[in-house]
Amino acid sequence: MPDDITISIDGVEIKTQPGKMVLEAAIDAGIYVPYLCYHPGMKPFAACRMCVVSVEGGRGYPAACTLPVADGMRVRSEANDVIELRRSVMQMLIAEHPNGCLTCHRIDICGPSDVCLRHVSVNDRCVTCPKNERCEFKDTVRYLGMELESPLNYKYKQMPLEVNDPFYDRDYNLCIACGRCVRACEEVRGDDAICFTERSGKALVGTSFGTSLLESGCEFCGACIDVCPVGALVERDHKWEKPRRIEPTICPHCPVGCQLNLELNDAQEMIRVVPELNAPANRGQACFKGKFGLEFLNRNDRLKQPLIRRDGNLMEATWEEALELIASRLPEYQGDAFALLAAPDCTNEELYLAQKFARVAMGSNNLDVLSNLQPESTLALERGMGFAAATNSIWDLEQSDCILVFNANVTEDNNVVALPIKAARKRGASLIVIDVREVELTRHADLWLRPAPGSELLLLGGILREIIDQGLDKKDWVEEHCEDPSTLLYYLHNLDLEEVASVTQVPRESIAEAARLFGASGKSAVCFALDNIAQELQRDCASALVDLVLLTGNVGEAGSGIYPVRQGANEQGAWDVGCIANRLPGRGAARNDRARTELEEILQCSLPSDRGIGSKGCLDAAAEGQVKAMVLLGGSQNLTNGRLGDALSALQGLEFLVIADTFLSEFAPVADVVLPRSTLAEKDGTLTNLERRIQRLKPAYASPSGGARDDFWLLVELGQRLGATGFHFSTGDEVMEEIARVVPAYAGVSYQALDAAGSLVLTSGLESPKPTQMLYAGRAHQGIQWPVSEGQGKGTPILYTESFPIERANLVAPEFRIVDAEPDPAYPARLAPGRVLLQRDRDNRIELQQDTRRNDIVREEVLEFNATDAQRWQVSEGDTVRVECPGRDLKGIVRLNSSLPEGVIAVTGLFGQLAVELENSAEPVPMARVPGLDLEPARVVKME
Amino acid sequence: MGRQARVMDGLKQRIKKAVQNQPQPTVTILSSLLAVEDELGYIPREAVEEVATFNQATINDVWAVVSFYPNFRTVPPCEHRIEVCWGPSCHLVGAMPVIASVLEAAGMEDEGDTPDGKLTIRYNTCLGACALAPVMSVDHRLAGRITPEKGRELVSKTLDSASGGEA
Repeated sequence: MPDDITISIDGVEIKTQPGKMVLEAAIDAGIYVPYLCYHPGMKPFAACRMCVVSVEGGRGYPAACTLPVADGMRVRSEANDVIELRRSVMQMLIAEHPNGCLTCHRIDICGPSDVCLRHVSVNDRCVTCPKNERCEFKDTVRYLGMELESPLNYKYKQMPLEVNDPFYDRDYNLCIACGRCVRACEEVRGDDAICFTERSGKALVGTSFGTSLLESGCEFCGACIDVCPVGALVERDHKWEKPRRIEPTICPHCPVGCQLNLELNDAQEMIRVVPELNAPANRGQACFKGKFGLEFLNRNDRLKQPLIRRDGNLMEATWEEALELIASRLPEYQGDAFALLAAPDCTNEELYLAQKFARVAMGSNNLDVLSNLQPESTLALERGMGFAAATNSIWDLEQSDCILVFNANVTEDNNVVALPIKAARKRGASLIVIDVREVELTRHADLWLRPAPGSELLLLGGILREIIDQGLDKKDWVEEHCEDPSTLLYYLHNLDLEEVASVTQVPRESIAEAARLFGASGKSAVCFALDNIAQELQRDCASALVDLVLLTGNVGEAGSGIYPVRQGANEQGAWDVGCIANRLPGRGAARNDRARTELEEILQCSLPSDRGIGSKGCLDAAAEGQVKAMVLLGGSQNLTNGRLGDALSALQGLEFLVIADTFLSEFAPVADVVLPRSTLAEKDGTLTNLERRIQRLKPAYASPSGGARDDFWLLVELGQRLGATGFHFSTGDEVMEEIARVVPAYAGVSYQALDAAGSLVLTSGLESPKPTQMLYAGRAHQGIQWPVSEGQGKGTPILYTESFPIERANLVAPEFRIVDAEPDPAYPARLAPGRVLLQRDRDNRIELQQDTRRNDIVREEVLEFNATDAQRWQVSEGDTVRVECPGRDLKGIVRLNSSLPEGVIAVTGLFGQLAVELENSAEPVPMARVPGLDLEPARVVKME
Repeated sequence: MGRQARVMDGLKQRIKKAVQNQPQPTVTILSSLLAVEDELGYIPREAVEEVATFNQATINDVWAVVSFYPNFRTVPPCEHRIEVCWGPSCHLVGAMPVIASVLEAAGMEDEGDTPDGKLTIRYNTCLGACALAPVMSVDHRLAGRITPEKGRELVSKTLDSASGGEA
């Protein structure tokens, strides 16, 4: 780089860039300078004074973490005076932390039951600390070579342990008040669930009025635990266990594609999940699902052997018998009678093979990933701009000046995406939330619009019209890059804004304000899902959002663009490799003759030409008897969460059902063959996240029982046994090579290229004598964001920087209309559930559950009504009412809220409640049993 | 609406008013807290929420300030407040025996509130009347040249005058 400057640390010259701090430059160059409050990814804090250095020609001992580099700077880090100063700083720190063991020469050979010759009390001994062997503090003390005795007195703080909250154990007797957790919560997560309390000798970390984390706005992401340098904050599960191996994997729970490090013990059990600091998608962050939702990997009720139905009972069988049975039965159902549904935690290679199996071996286009319930969100992107994917990288959102979140529960569904959104908001960007539910981001929103259900499209029309009226559309840009917008403009000019306001029940000023914020803020971006949008409006809503981005020219720059919020981990990959009905790998619709013939030529086989049916249709077709045989790869949350209707009874109608599953699921009773399936942590392949980043996944460990197999192996075996062409694969590399030939966006992608896209990050391994501070760093796998530029193997972080692949972008003109859902006379209202981190003015009492010894939230629900509805239901503020929904009842106190549209009753829960529910679950998909935030039909019953 | 709820609403109103009617041009979390303390004599939970909302901060931000200053109370004040100076001047002429007898008369071991909510005893580093050392104050009224006996007397008088005293 031309702007390199050179500094020297203890005589070693290193190159660095202006703007960096000396500590960062040192870490980059592999020179260790001790630090405790600094943490990569957070702003320097300069509180612990552990990284003090001296600079030739400078005065005093500045902290390296806040000392900007300057050309020719000569830093002394290992000089005697500096080391002495650090030791005396450390003496003050260990006066606040148990230190009897820190300075003991027997520390490495001491066991928990050893008699301590130095009379260190049990509370204060390192062997009884959960962070023993992975404690940054201890390593730093030892690095400094402290004297055996500290001149300062230490007294145990006698603080009670905080062990009643979900997932976390907190022991503030061990806290050194470095502030990493407070800063992680505030700076990185944007939550402010914890703060510094008191001062001087009593300064610690805590919450307002000492409340439990359940009431303080904690989202239980674990970020504070990950940065704690001592044993103060630890995960409760496997608290005392030490990792023997650390293996990277990718989180199976959502399409952010967080790179996680699994800590494994000797028995190959996963004991802890630590998000990877160098991962481009998650940057050291995870969420409650990734951090605490992988416990299922340790379940010992894994399916170990294939099961075959014999005489009505599922009996254990060998793989050979099971495969033979499937291969002999499936040919009966060639064509439309066959369907294949894959879980979204399949790799790209598996999904490619799955679609190939369905299409080539079975001649059926009935295939899908189970989480693909909002296909229109992807199709609209393709229709409007050319690629069926998000336009930008996740962390580009940090640079946005305005972000519109449309009907997406980002914080729960794609948690890490909420981080750059909150960071942008903190930086001063505007946030607009359009959602009738109270989702977490509404707390951060400058503008929160709650349109009446069914009128969302009209509201978008209103905003688009305001964009035009206020002259915020980029006419020149649109003229240069888009097809003629006149149809859209015509539709927009036909809108009556007064009517839009009255129908959507969103004030006209708010609509104008939303348009102004989005159009006039600079770089604006859209994050959207189609949650609770009526089926017939989904396509047009998504198109209207694409129009919004195009009209305002928010394309092709960091901070602009549009992001679909999806559910399944590898849903993007499924779209890319064509594991979707009516979508060929990389070539659009199966019905498109040219595309199909092209593909047939490449693959030397013939492909079915019908539309095929997707997840929802497949189940309906199974119930009606059109689909007679089905292969389910993975029992997905989407089968159990009710969004696909009554899956169980639909599957019952099948003549032949094969399920590959990790655990025996409730679908086993209707299956003819049940096959043990590997988890994502045991798989080899690639996954594509929502920012089009193809990431390499390697098995963290072998499938424990040895009996479970991945879908890759299964599909290759079955394809070969059915005599289909093109199933002679033995490694994922070979499949990726074929994908690269078939899918234009993947051209140039190979395992070799993916491995090369990594970079070496400085690390000190488990056995390294250096402090643990860079323990989890390693080789950073950047992955490659498709499309890959030809020849160079470089990805494309931002799409459409110069042009669109379809020559001109399409401003699709939706007919801005509303859907008036036929109200069920039994349930005339709709309940809009919400979930937030914190409810300040709510009476939440926390009670200790006697049986589990855990905190639980006890409170009265507050049911929010529009004034008109309150009148209609004859309830008034403060009344206690019951709201009945099919399947559940809610009791609560009425509160009037004028921001609610008529016909909607809102109720808002807490993340804490979710955490309590999740803690005791070992579900493979943690959210499967947790009620989502779907609108429910409801009626009101007044209580006497 | 129950009586409890009405009381709560009254409290919230007072907090809101105090926070919103600060005369000085620069309004901060700290100034808002002082305004509440002036109005109520302590910082209730509702005030932390209100101050957070008013200053566009989080409740934990506000709590960091509240807990930083030992002079902010988070529980309602006691009926009476006695401060005993233990600054250098008072210390030299016998503040410590005064403190001991005052505490003994109140039945306490250290500074703080009496369990019945009648009396708060605080040590003070200077009440600004060193010429009268040793000094103490009862409900902000100064009393000088205190002896242990006089201190004890003042405490029992104060306790007797407390409204709960006759009950």
